[in-house]
Amino acid sequence: MSPRVVLAVIGIGALAVIALWWHSTPDVRGLGGWLTGAGEVLGLLCGYGVVVLVALMARLPPLERGIGTDQLARWHAMGGRYIVSLVVAHGLLILWGYAVEAHTSLTSETATLLTQYPDVLMATVAGFLLLGVGIISMRAARRRVRYETWYYLHLYTYLAIALAFSHQFAVGASFINNLAARFWWSAMYLTVAALVLWYRVAVPLRAFARHKFTVIGVKAEGPGVISVFIGGSHLDELAAEPGQFFRWRFLTRSLWWSSHPYSLSAAPGTDVLRITVKDIGDHSRALSQLRPGTRIMAEGPYGAFTAGRSDRGVVLLAGGVGITPLRAMFSTLPGPVTLIYRASTEQDIVFRDELDSIAAARGAKVYYLVGSRAEIGGDPLSPRMLRSLVPGLDEQEIYVCGPSGMISAAVEALRGAGVSRRQIHFESFEF
Amino acid sequence: MRRVVLAVTGTIAGLVALLSFKSHSPTVPVAATTGTVGGSSSSSSSTSSSSRTIPGEFQSVAGTLTQGETEITGKVANTVYGPVQVELVVKSGKIVKVAILEQPTNTIHDIQIGEFAFPKLISETLAAQNAKIDAVSGASYTSAGYIASLQSAVDHGL
Amino acid sequence: MGTVVSFDVPDWADQVLSRAVAWLHWVDARFSPYRDDSDVSRFGRGSVTLAECVPELAEVLAACADVAALSGGYFTTRPGGRFDPSGYVKGWAIERAAAMLTAAGSAEHSVNGGGDIQCVGDHGPGQPWRVGIADPLRPGSLALVVAGRDFAVATSGVAERGPHIINPHTGQPATGLASITMVGATLAATDAYATAAFAMGPAARDWVQSLDGYEAFAISPGGGTWQTGGFRAYLAC
Repeated sequence: MSPRVVLAVIGIGALAVIALWWHSTPDVRGLGGWLTGAGEVLGLLCGYGVVVLVALMARLPPLERGIGTDQLARWHAMGGRYIVSLVVAHGLLILWGYAVEAHTSLTSETATLLTQYPDVLMATVAGFLLLGVGIISMRAARRRVRYETWYYLHLYTYLAIALAFSHQFAVGASFINNLAARFWWSAMYLTVAALVLWYRVAVPLRAFARHKFTVIGVKAEGPGVISVFIGGSHLDELAAEPGQFFRWRFLTRSLWWSSHPYSLSAAPGTDVLRITVKDIGDHSRALSQLRPGTRIMAEGPYGAFTAGRSDRGVVLLAGGVGITPLRAMFSTLPGPVTLIYRASTEQDIVFRDELDSIAAARGAKVYYLVGSRAEIGGDPLSPRMLRSLVPGLDEQEIYVCGPSGMISAAVEALRGAGVSRRQIHFESFEF
Repeated sequence: MRRVVLAVTGTIAGLVALLSFKSHSPTVPVAATTGTVGGSSSSSSSTSSSSRTIPGEFQSVAGTLTQGETEITGKVANTVYGPVQVELVVKSGKIVKVAILEQPTNTIHDIQIGEFAFPKLISETLAAQNAKIDAVSGASYTSAGYIASLQSAVDHGL
Repeated sequence: MGTVVSFDVPDWADQVLSRAVAWLHWVDARFSPYRDDSDVSRFGRGSVTLAECVPELAEVLAACADVAALSGGYFTTRPGGRFDPSGYVKGWAIERAAAMLTAAGSAEHSVNGGGDIQCVGDHGPGQPWRVGIADPLRPGSLALVVAGRDFAVATSGVAERGPHIINPHTGQPATGLASITMVGATLAATDAYATAAFAMGPAARDWVQSLDGYEAFAISPGGGTWQTGGFRAYLAC
C-alpha cells in the first residue's frame, strides 16, 4: 500500500465523483448556471473529500504500515485545509447561483435556503463547524491551545459530517433521480464509518481485554526524561517491531481522556514494553506520577519507521528525543550499525550507559555530537562531518529521527554527501 | 505557499474546464411530441422524478368552461428537470386561458424558478397569440419544454 | 439532433407525414454529430472516406462550401474545430421534408424545426403564413410578425442559450447581434445564411443586402434593430 497507490485511488475516486456530476447535468447556461454548476461540483467533492479525510485517520493497518502515521497526518492536514475551503466556496457559489437563477436577492435567497430547503440549515451548521475546526487547527491557533482541547474540538468534525449528509440527497442535483448514486454514496459513507468503528474503537477494546496492559514501574533516565515499563499478556502477538510506537491511554483520573503516541524505546519483550518520554507538556509530566498496576488502553503497533531486510550497513541518526525509537533499533538490527546522536547539551543525552554497552557488545560505534558547532569543530549535520564519521556513507541505509527541523537539515546533508533518497528513512514526531 | 497557489489555480482551472464543456454540449431534446427528431440525450435516469399539480392558480381549468370554449391538453414534454404539461382554453380561435398542469417540482429550486418563469410565459403567451401566429421563430431553449407543449396544444386544436 | 419539429398540414396528409418523419429520423441517424456511429461523426474522425458515406453527405458538403465561399468564410463546417455541418443540415432536412409533402400532393403546409420554418403555399385560402419572431431580449414576447407564402424563415440568436455560434475568423463566440432573422425562398440556404450572418455581426447588413432573394431583420444586444431594404414586403402588421 504505497503512497503513490493510495493517492492514485483517491484521485480515481475524485474523477468518479466528477463523472457523476457530468452525467447528471444538462448543459450549463448563463451566470446562474455556471455558479450553480461550480457549486455542485465542489459540493460533491466535499462530500467525497470528508470521507477520504476520515479514512486517512481511521488507523487502517495497510495505510499505517505503508505510508506511516506522520505522513498520513500531514496529508490529512493539507487535505483538511483544502476541503474546508471548498466547503466555504460551495456554500457561497450555490447561494449566489440560486439567487441568480431564481431572480431574487442574495439576502432573500439565503433566507429561502435556510428555511425552506430541507436539511440545508443543518448543512450550514455543519459548514460552520468545519470552518471552526479548520481555524482552530491552524498552526497559529494550535500553539495557543492545549493538545487535549484541540483534540476534543476536532471530534466535532464527525458531527459536522453527520449533519451535512442528508442535504446531499435532499437537494443534490446528482442524487435526486439517481438511486444507484445514492446507494453507492451511502455505501461509501457506511464503509468508512464501519472501518472507523472497528479500528479506532473495537480493536483497542479488544487489545485491552486480550493483553491487559499495565504499568509495571517508572524510572527516571535523566533530568526531565522518564521511562515507563509496561507489562501485559501475550505481548508477542502484537508483533511490534523496533521503531514502532503505540498510542497510550493511561487509565487514571487525569489521564484517561487523552491518548498519546510514544515509541518503544527498547526492543519489545515477551512481557515487557518500555517507552521513554521527555517532559514537555502536561501529559508527559503526569506520567512520572504513574503508579504500578495502572491499567492502560493501548493501540498499536503503528508506524512505518522500521528496518527492512538489507545487506547494507545501517546508520542511525538521532536528534534530541528522536533517540527513542532508534535506541530500540540499535539493540536489534543485525549487521554493522553506527549511531550518531546529536544533542544540544550533555544533559540531553539519554541512555548513555545503555548505548555504550550495546555498542561494546555488538562492536558498533556511537558518536555523541553534543554542544554548539564551535565545540564540535564544525556543523555536526554537514556532508563533510557525516562522511568523516561514517566511511562509505553512501552505501548505508540511514534512519533519521528527531524534531522536524533537524530531520530536514539531516536529509539535506545526507543528500549532499551522496546518499540517494531511497536509502534515507525518517519519521517526524510532530504530528 | 506554492502549494496553496497550485491548489487554488488547479481547482479554478478544473471548474472552468468542466463547465465550459457543459456549456457547449448539445441541447437536450424534448421527447414525446408529434414529429420529434430524437437526438441522444444525457438526462439522468428519471424513473422517480416527481411532478405534481401546484394547487391554486395552476389547477386544471376544466369544469369552468363557458359557451363556445374548448379545452385542449398538450402532451407531456419530458425535460431533464422533469415533465411539463400545458392546457389551453380556446374560444373563437383565440387562447383565453393557459394552465400549467405539470411542472418540475423535484426541488424547491425547480419550484422557485417555475414560480418566476411560468406566470411570465403565460401572460406573454396570451399576449403573443393575439398576433394569431402559426409558428414562432427563434424561441429560446429555457422555455422549450413549455413551447413544445404549447406547440403541441396548438398542433392539436388550432 | 435535439430539435423538436412540428408539421402543419392539411387533414388528409397524415399518411405522408410518417414518410417525412422517417426522413427526419434518417437524417438524424446519418448526420448527427452527437451520434458516434453517424456518417458525419465517422467522416469527421477520418474513419471513413466521403465515398463510403451516403451520397447526401457529399451533396451537403458541396453546398456548405458554396455558402462558406459566399459568406467570406463566416459559415463553416468546423465550428470550434469539430466537423459539424449541422448549420446547413438542419435547414436542408426540413426543406426536404416539406418537399416530400409537396411531392405527395399537398400544396399548403409548413414544417417548423426548432424555430426554422419552411412554408409552402398559403395557410388557408388567401391567407399567408404568419410567423412570429421571438424577442431575444424579452423571452416570451414577440419582436414582430412576418407573413408570406412559399417562403422560409430562419433565426439565429443568443436568446437564453447563450452565445453558441462561433465566429470562425476569431474563434470566439459571436456577440455582435442578439438575433438575426433571414427570410428567403428555401430553408437550407436561408438557415445557413442566417448562421453566417450572425457570426458576421453588424457587418451582415451590407452582406445580406448584396444577396439576391434574401432579406434580414436583426436585433442588436442593446435593443436597436435594423433590416435590409426588401424586408418590408414581409412585415405583417
